[in-house]
Amino acid sequence: MGERIFFAIAAFGVIASAVGVITLRNPFRAAVALIVSLLSVALIFLLERAPFVAMIQVIVYAGAVVVLFLFVIAYLGDKPPAVGPDPLARYQVLAWLVIIGLGIEGFLALGNSRLPGIRANPFQVSDIGSPRAIGRAFLDSFVAEFEGTSLVLLVAAIGAVLLARRAVLGERGR
Amino acid sequence: MLIGTLSTHHQATGVPLSWYLALSGAMFLLGLLGVLIRRNPLLLLLAVELMLNASNIALVGFSRYWNVSDGQIFALVVMVVAAAEVVIGLGLIVAVYRQRLALDVDALSRLKG
Repeated sequence: MGERIFFAIAAFGVIASAVGVITLRNPFRAAVALIVSLLSVALIFLLERAPFVAMIQVIVYAGAVVVLFLFVIAYLGDKPPAVGPDPLARYQVLAWLVIIGLGIEGFLALGNSRLPGIRANPFQVSDIGSPRAIGRAFLDSFVAEFEGTSLVLLVAAIGAVLLARRAVLGERGR
Repeated sequence: MLIGTLSTHHQATGVPLSWYLALSGAMFLLGLLGVLIRRNPLLLLLAVELMLNASNIALVGFSRYWNVSDGQIFALVVMVVAAAEVVIGLGLIVAVYRQRLALDVDALSRLKG
């Protein structure tokens, strides 16, 4: 029972702060709401027996990624972003239709799933989420993926440097 | 591993997989809604982060369901991709801002505009 109460609290945090992220128009407040959302997701990861992923979530996501967001928001300042009426306003009803349709579809898919034990109490698990298990899985079975992530990060870093360089050159080195 | 002995043994109480999947789906739809209705590219990127996190909840949930680490590995790879995406996305936003253009994705609909 305790786990389900914990889940309810964390899930409420996730959904409430996610609503905040997409409704708050001030980017700074939206980013703070995103921090709450990411920390709640870390709680969910703890419930899912994945302590290592939960820690990485807190350090990398709620730490590094959101701080990067806050830096850029502070750099850009309180610029009034959108001016004038929304030229795509008449298509917004389509967005809501897509969301409602996908929601109904997901509800039906989950309700009709025949996966054994999907709605029952979960099975007990062995040690799958500790740093030792994750490290073993990475180095035993997923070495290629591990190297692939380093390649992705390298390409992203090169791309960021090129973007910044072009922007500086565009301002003639100011 | 204890998979064989545990496969028929349920825990006393716990959270079923379907609850995690429902939460994941709801969070994903909220992120998608944010991507569809927002105009500020910063808020768009925040909404994309919501969608990526929603997928991670489902991945780690299935990892627990099947009692293997694979889903968690996948979630970590998704985090790497998310970090790369944020770096490039924010770099683009700063580049757009330096060109003194409005931060509105609808106004940036033309290449070479």
